[in-house]
Amino acid sequence: MIAVPGFLLSLLVAMVLSGSGLAAGVKAKAEVSCAATAKSLEYDCAIKLSDQRSGAALTGVDVTVGADMPSMPMAHNVKPVKAVPDSAAGTYRARILLEMHGDWAVKVDLAGPVRDRIVKSMRFEPKP
Amino acid sequence: MDDHLIGIVSNIGVISFVALSAYLLLLTGEISFGQQAFFAIGAYTSGIVTAMWQLPFALGLGAGAATGAAAALLVGLPTLRLHGLQFAIATLAFAEAVRILFELFRYQIVRDGELVGPNGIEGFRNIRYIFENDVSATEFMLIIYGLLGATLFGLFLLERSRLGTAFRMIGEDDLLAATQGVAVVPVKLTAACLAGTIAGLGGGLYAHLTTYVEPAIFDVMLGVHSLAYGLIGGLGTAFGPLLGVVIDIGLLESTRWFAGYRMIVFGGLVAVLLIVRPRGLLDEQLVHRIRRAVRRRPRPSPANDTVLGKELS
Repeated sequence: MIAVPGFLLSLLVAMVLSGSGLAAGVKAKAEVSCAATAKSLEYDCAIKLSDQRSGAALTGVDVTVGADMPSMPMAHNVKPVKAVPDSAAGTYRARILLEMHGDWAVKVDLAGPVRDRIVKSMRFEPKP
Repeated sequence: MDDHLIGIVSNIGVISFVALSAYLLLLTGEISFGQQAFFAIGAYTSGIVTAMWQLPFALGLGAGAATGAAAALLVGLPTLRLHGLQFAIATLAFAEAVRILFELFRYQIVRDGELVGPNGIEGFRNIRYIFENDVSATEFMLIIYGLLGATLFGLFLLERSRLGTAFRMIGEDDLLAATQGVAVVPVKLTAACLAGTIAGLGGGLYAHLTTYVEPAIFDVMLGVHSLAYGLIGGLGTAFGPLLGVVIDIGLLESTRWFAGYRMIVFGGLVAVLLIVRPRGLLDEQLVHRIRRAVRRRPRPSPANDTVLGKELS
């Protein structure tokens, strides 16, 4: 029985130490703007990614876009959708379907050559 | 597992901490609507330690757990003499006070040419430990479940100790427990501190999992959910609240077609469940029956072996 917590703690230590300790060379910066589409609660989001340090556009990155309602974390969220590269370098597009209007934390997850997460607080309101 | 599934499983693990925290207080008979406050304190503290002060992750988690415990001690001293509804309202008031304090809390430093740290209502972004240290989503999920396993094991030992018995005695009838020599207030204070520690630890993990926190996350909704987990899953064992979390998040994730109405459906299901099983799915009676059934399982005895051995020969 004692072996169980021992194993779990050693797993924890191993995991904590397993990080390479190397700070990723790139720190991503994102500009996100979303516009309502004809479909109710669907938004077309344009994402512009760049390296915060050098300002260079981030290309060839796997981008997924999700969203959480901060006042109800995990209760109301958007299943992450894959963003597709747009015409300009470092720009991507994704369509997200919200559950309701209001304040959302839009999460842009980067994978591949750059691994990072950018969170943007955005208010989505019905079309006037 | 894909990243989305890893995210859901990690969320279940992290929210289990706040569920276990509320469960510990439920054992002593107290209903707390305020465990999200200690979760928030742990989240902000550990974020400050790793993202701003650049100290190791383990230290950040330890600091989150310690501040959660310290805050629980401070709140417990004046409130644990209250009972029932009064205690529940006091914890709710405290949690709302903490949330509003975080809306006013600004403490930022410049890192990499960018301001980092809590910024009032906008929250605390860029808690990027997992990205800066190349910890994968799977590795972080294993860290969460490693710590959750250790916490569960601790609770397993606690429930078999004199202290755990005292918790349940107070939960049944604190007056009767006092006549049996249980020091009710110190024992309840111990439960509150342990609950604060668990919630603070969970908060630290949450901040590093999501990389951002903001006061709106820690509102009464999270408190109600954390309480509901124990009541849905059952109060007979520490696995009850975990079952509650799995049902809650699992159900919410599997009923996406209800879209914005999911919470209404979920609320209805919880109400029905509580009418049918008032002390949750894994209540004390069921846990007792399971334990008895496990103990009844026949074991091969040396006498039987000898008889069989003779028959074969």
